[in-house]
Amino acid sequence: MSDEELLTLEEVAVVCAVTPEWLRDRVEEGLVPAAPEWRFSAVAVRRVRRMVALERDFDAAPELAALMADLLEELDALRAGLR
Amino acid sequence: MEFKDYYQTLGVAREASADEIRKAFRKLARKYHPDVSKEADAEARMKEVNEAYAVLSDPEKRAAYDQLGRNYRPGEEFRPPPDWDTGFEFSHHDFRGADFSDFFAELFGRMGARGHGQDHYAKVLLDVEDALLGAARQIALRVPRVDERGRVALETRTLNVKIPAGVREGQLIRLAGQGAGGAGQPGDLLLEVHFKPHARYRVEGRDLHVDLPVAPWEAALGAVLRVDVPGAALNVRIPAGAQSGRVLRVRGKGIPAQPPGDLLLAIRVVVPPADTDKARALYEQMARDLAFDPRATP
Repeated sequence: MSDEELLTLEEVAVVCAVTPEWLRDRVEEGLVPAAPEWRFSAVAVRRVRRMVALERDFDAAPELAALMADLLEELDALRAGLR
Repeated sequence: MEFKDYYQTLGVAREASADEIRKAFRKLARKYHPDVSKEADAEARMKEVNEAYAVLSDPEKRAAYDQLGRNYRPGEEFRPPPDWDTGFEFSHHDFRGADFSDFFAELFGRMGARGHGQDHYAKVLLDVEDALLGAARQIALRVPRVDERGRVALETRTLNVKIPAGVREGQLIRLAGQGAGGAGQPGDLLLEVHFKPHARYRVEGRDLHVDLPVAPWEAALGAVLRVDVPGAALNVRIPAGAQSGRVLRVRGKGIPAQPPGDLLLAIRVVVPPADTDKARALYEQMARDLAFDPRATP
């Protein structure tokens, strides 16, 4: 098994129930981190799912959803450190 | 199947406007947001709220639901009349079946078969030991299935998954061809790995952190201690003069990934209780003979 499974843009789009264009826009804007050759880790998938929910539930602008995702990721890291 | 009152879920009146429904939803979405909510059942409540909003925010679905719901009270045993949805055309197939209830799937799950299979995504919660030794796990997934009438029903599928040793937090395990089936090729099933909090172990990347309690004489004089980790018993040398908080690194004995991580042992000196005459006498002798001041600045 490869050490770290990375997904393509199309795979992430399917998993997060968004169109590839939706995701491409946000990667190009730098709102979703991509590994070289536009590959995505599980961390990126979790981030995209959060952004999808925030944009959908609150009509949030993509930049705002990304900012919120940044904060939630930081919260995750701090909570993991407390464990 | 129980009838679900979506109006009650959102706390709005039946004649509420689209704007009122949106406001009520957002209030609840904030209250039960899984990342920040302090409510114990936040995730389950958020699912209900999402489901209610998916129906009531869509004029077509809401109209169909209103017509059907006139004769039911919440919790009442519910069977949709055959062809109840004739005359309604659902133009938005935003079906997120696995997240919604059987009630929803029965009413609105007429999405029709898709051209290709969909990937399926699930989180799997593992014990730290599983990452060290590998494990076989049974995972139950709720997956939408299309029946012969073109409706979607949820069914529970149990999978036996082999967890490879060396798996890490946040890693994806891909099971080829095990995703939600469609008319064509089934997609892959993706599992995102998470670890349950463990009383003794903490995983950081590939490294395994463990507390190592030692007696004062072991720390002062040095010792070779036996440390048990899943699948191995190691002999670890404690250097003389070790203090609490010092971390010993045992290379290659962490998560057995490629390359393997390290085992990090955090030394914690535990002071024996002075609860016998003998113990008290020993402490008193040390106090007299050692002239030790832990607060002295060097």
